[in-house]
Amino acid sequence: MSDVFTRLASRAIAAGLGTLMLIACSSGGGGGTGGGASSTDVTVWTAWGGAELKAFQDVLKPFKDQTGINVHLTTNRDSTNQLANGIAAGTDLPDIAPGPTDPNLVKSWVSKGALKPMETALGDQFQAYIDNTYPALTTPPSGQQDNPYILVIGGKHYALMVKTQVKGLIWYNKKVFTGTAPTSFDQMLQINPSQYGAKSLFCAGFESGAASGWPASDQIDNIIMRQSGDQVYTNWIQGKQKFTSPEIKLGYQTFLQEVSDQNVYGGRNTALSTNFGKAGDPLFKNPAGCLFLEQATFITSFFQQDFPSLNLKAGTDFDFFAHPSVNSQYDGNINGFYDNFSMYNDTPAARKLLTYLSTKDAQQIWANDGGTLGAIKTLTYTDPVFKRAADIANSAKNLLVTAGDFMPADMQKAFWQSLLNVTKNPGSLDSELAHLDQVQKAAYTTS
Amino acid sequence: MALDQIITAVVAVIGVPLVLLAYIIVGEQVIERLSDRLQTWIRPYFWALPAVGFATVFMLYPMARTVIFSLRNNDDNAWVGFANYNYFFTFPDTLTALRNSLLWLVFYTFFAVAFGLIAAILLDRVRYEALAKVAIFLPVPISAVAASIIWKFMFEYQPVGATQTGTLNALLGVAHHDPVAWLVDSTTNNAALIFVGIWTAVGFCMVIISASLKAISTEVLEAARIDGANEFQIVWLVVTPLLWPTITVVGTTMLINALKTFDIVYVMTNGAYDTDVIATRMFSQLQSNHIGRAAAVGVVLFIAIVPLMLVNIRRFQQQEEQR
Repeated sequence: MSDVFTRLASRAIAAGLGTLMLIACSSGGGGGTGGGASSTDVTVWTAWGGAELKAFQDVLKPFKDQTGINVHLTTNRDSTNQLANGIAAGTDLPDIAPGPTDPNLVKSWVSKGALKPMETALGDQFQAYIDNTYPALTTPPSGQQDNPYILVIGGKHYALMVKTQVKGLIWYNKKVFTGTAPTSFDQMLQINPSQYGAKSLFCAGFESGAASGWPASDQIDNIIMRQSGDQVYTNWIQGKQKFTSPEIKLGYQTFLQEVSDQNVYGGRNTALSTNFGKAGDPLFKNPAGCLFLEQATFITSFFQQDFPSLNLKAGTDFDFFAHPSVNSQYDGNINGFYDNFSMYNDTPAARKLLTYLSTKDAQQIWANDGGTLGAIKTLTYTDPVFKRAADIANSAKNLLVTAGDFMPADMQKAFWQSLLNVTKNPGSLDSELAHLDQVQKAAYTTS
Repeated sequence: MALDQIITAVVAVIGVPLVLLAYIIVGEQVIERLSDRLQTWIRPYFWALPAVGFATVFMLYPMARTVIFSLRNNDDNAWVGFANYNYFFTFPDTLTALRNSLLWLVFYTFFAVAFGLIAAILLDRVRYEALAKVAIFLPVPISAVAASIIWKFMFEYQPVGATQTGTLNALLGVAHHDPVAWLVDSTTNNAALIFVGIWTAVGFCMVIISASLKAISTEVLEAARIDGANEFQIVWLVVTPLLWPTITVVGTTMLINALKTFDIVYVMTNGAYDTDVIATRMFSQLQSNHIGRAAAVGVVLFIAIVPLMLVNIRRFQQQEEQR
């Protein structure tokens, strides 16, 4: 009896140990997709899904057909964290993935050698890439060597820019607003909406669930960068410019003019309670609720979705003009964002893919699929919205990122909510700003 | 990638029980060879060890780590004393969160239990009890996120003069009252959020209290009636005292829920307009990589909950003894 038991027991142990080893093997082997400097395979991570992923697959198809290189594409929305873990642990990384957005990570990964410069990746095509791409995406202003926001460190480029979007556009209903686009912010504020049969000058919608306040932050970003310049703006993102400083306070005061009870549709409570996707609805009501809505290019799909029966068309029913100048000294500061790829393993196949993505042929496919600007200046767009947005990107001296997105999370939350609070109660501006200074002090210091 | 994960999951599900089985079989083999006295002494420890081991690895260790994190800096390479706690108890935002959590603690618990009790007692006396109970219980299985979204529609606000799309403001319109921005106005927003919490909890309180109400023998009530008590006196002087142990358990559970409140606030306002609670503060600290401060919030929350847990456990033990 005990013999049988012993045999059974040892078998059970063997089975147990075996399974444990299996666990170890399968989890250890999970990331093992890289390996060697391949010239036939390349692994790529992207955060895109849906239509954006489909567009990228369209872009990749000619590359696969022409070179025979297999592109192993994975959608990974947590790539920065996983790359950080991989770099810290020294495990396999994808060959190509988006570059980090946090400026501190950019510097740290460059110093660790995890990011490979485009100068080597693109080789003799590098200069063509620089010449073809919007300068704001590749060239730090006034000969600086570093701009971590576009991944330029020590004069070298650690990301290939492939797509871009411009924000801070002023949208209007072409049948309502028939005047000429104002060239300065003050001019815009002086327009009398009733002259065009509209109830108020601006529409606004700051509600966005847990991220409420971001649409307001886009508005103030676009003011501050044009009012006090890119240096103040960048310092402010980095926590080196106090909220109580005259420049930022002026930005808040200017923002408050846009959302005063007199200027904003339905009054301040309406701006606070309305979802950003519905903010533009009064543009198309009869009589029109407002003349203008400030938002990025994506808002057009909301217009069309909210009024299916009107069959709204960009360029004929609605249009936009660029954010008017606040201080002419800082014209050319544009708010936008971009998509990029960085090289984490220097392989022949990765170099070939990046070189391909830097070409006009590749990026034109993105432009054709719609919904975005490429990074190259000379693409052609059939959509009138993107045709005009391309002009704005072309005129940009600085493409400045959206401030809140690059602040520490609790700073971002406090910043967004402060905009809601001052909209609700403009008299609280000074105490809100003093409070933001406190948060700034706590958020940027690691205790 | 996905296939790997499935294989790992399957292997873990089969592998872990197998290892446990091997542990028991081999261990019993060894124990059987010991003297009888030693066997009776060692066997309970042997059988309890895996459970204790799991609890240590998955509960005690993280708990200890959290306490240690709360006393260290962000990079976890130096002690900072009570700096993180100091931040918690002096920073205006966390003080607002503490105040709001206190509001939740008092109003959410009181109204959830009170409405639950009232519903249980009243519905006990009507014919359509089951139907009414289902209606009140219906919000319980809805996830807090879904409930929050439902109530966001209820609280919707449109400018004065426009068609009100939110139910509550439409009702106000019928009464010729201007619409209220429920979630924006600081006089109504905390109450609105707590109300949503109560809505999702009343059904739970009612069901538990109702179960214990059914256990009260009718003889007690008959006796009271014979003694000349009216129905109100019966409820107040006989039924409620008999339900008291259950009410305490339900109440402490609600107190714990109130302290843990996160989802409703996160989805509906994310703490805007002074509606933050302790748990949303912890989350935003964690998001901004202030691990020490987040851990300090966690420890404070834990310390606040422990006495309630103890009350609950003691109640359970008393009930066991009574059986």
